[in-house]
Amino acid sequence: MEENEGTSLVLRQIGAKSNPLLAPFQTVSEVRRNRFLVRNLVRREVRARYRNAALGYAWTVIEPALLASVYWFLFIMLSGNPDKMYAVWVLLGVIVWGCFSKSLNAATNSLTGNVRTMHLVYFPRSIFPVSGVGANMLVTLMSCLIMIPIIFIYDLPITVHLIWVPIGVFMAGFMALGFGMMMAPLNCVQRDVQHLVRFITRAGFFVSPVMWTAEMAMERGNWGEAALWNPMVLPITMVRHGLEGKLVDLPSAVIMSSAISAVVLYLVGTIVFSKYERGAVKYL
Amino acid sequence: MSETSIRLEEITLHFPKQRNIFAIISDFFKKKERKFTALHEVDLEIKQGEVIGIIGRNGSGKSTLLRVISGIYPPDQGEVHAAGDISLLAGLGTGFSAHQTGRENALLYGSILGHGALEMKSKINDIIHFSELGPFIDEPLRTYSAGMKARLGLAVASAINPNILLIDEVLGVGDPNFREKSKKKILSMVKGASTVVIVSHSFGLMSDICDRVILLHHGKIVNDGLPQDSIRKYYEIEGE
Repeated sequence: MEENEGTSLVLRQIGAKSNPLLAPFQTVSEVRRNRFLVRNLVRREVRARYRNAALGYAWTVIEPALLASVYWFLFIMLSGNPDKMYAVWVLLGVIVWGCFSKSLNAATNSLTGNVRTMHLVYFPRSIFPVSGVGANMLVTLMSCLIMIPIIFIYDLPITVHLIWVPIGVFMAGFMALGFGMMMAPLNCVQRDVQHLVRFITRAGFFVSPVMWTAEMAMERGNWGEAALWNPMVLPITMVRHGLEGKLVDLPSAVIMSSAISAVVLYLVGTIVFSKYERGAVKYL
Repeated sequence: MSETSIRLEEITLHFPKQRNIFAIISDFFKKKERKFTALHEVDLEIKQGEVIGIIGRNGSGKSTLLRVISGIYPPDQGEVHAAGDISLLAGLGTGFSAHQTGRENALLYGSILGHGALEMKSKINDIIHFSELGPFIDEPLRTYSAGMKARLGLAVASAINPNILLIDEVLGVGDPNFREKSKKKILSMVKGASTVVIVSHSFGLMSDICDRVILLHHGKIVNDGLPQDSIRKYYEIEGE
């Protein structure tokens, strides 16, 4: 926004189309330039979510803990005696998957939910999905504080591998951002997209290692191994193994394919977003 | 100061119409598109230092034109060029959050209007002073009256200092006292900016401060000239 204060201002085209292939880099620079705005939007979102609640931010921890206890109970009913860490694995699965699914829904609805702002002010529109995902990542990191008591209760080692916890959360949010940026402009044109995305996040819960772990899948042979090709296996397993105090232990092909799909989602997402967001505003 | 500040070249803008699955299929076979043309080959050149008014009936394309200039809507045909940074002043208090304090909202709205952290830090005291909110500034916004929100919105909005200022009907909010103050403030902003485009229904103000007034009708420029000429033409069209 800062322009040199001079009398000789140069005419430039408003809304000139830039090369869409540069979008992945432009998104980064737009967010960097508007970091104060992103920070304020994230804060607004998080504040609004925990407003007027006596327990306030404690809900970031309580919600996944309650969910996990329900799944843990369900699992015991279905398959009997799990190992003692199972409840923890479910909890972490719920937290990381929640980060992905909430971020994805937030990014998908980030344009349709900010119609008023978009009609009244212009700033780079990538700010909307980025701050939607950012708010959910922040909430997820707060949820991760529950790991501190867990480490003591289960007597887990405190190792350098704990660094994989925030990295896994970030990776889940990053994939949601790429996918959500792809969906956001399409959702402006036809709202069917948000219903489809909601279905994906609900169904994805079962085919991702939330209630099960990568180890369980590998014991099950063909179908189990097929399930490992889900890109969400890596971030969830990364967080679990990080808490356990080890490097993520998955077949390297699975790791590679997941990392590559995260990058591809981001590249395609930003390109699609920058190509279609301009026109999409007119549908709102 | 006769350099071009804003230039619109044959701007045409369509709005697509929302379709359900049956309409999509039938349109596909009939090979037609459902759309509404909001701006129709609009040509406009605004020099630096000019204050331009835009008038027209509701739905004539006034706000749409401002949004095209500010980059909110990409035109379907034609190009928009502008020199310097542009600010659109519309709907004071965009993005306000009821659950945060007045101060936090001032920072939020300021950042939405394009200020960085340092700029807001240097401006926040003036903003709070102008808003006349006193100790209420640290209360949550949901406790504010409509007038207090408007005051805070204007206080933040008036801290911008763009080369090109676009104003869309922000005059006339709040109680008469504040309305007078806000009018004064906006007039001083108009003097401060090098180029101003105003959309308003208050013709008295328009003929006072505008160098030129443009009359839009059904997305076309019908008259572009002295304020009194455009206003007279407006009443002729209205009388039809």
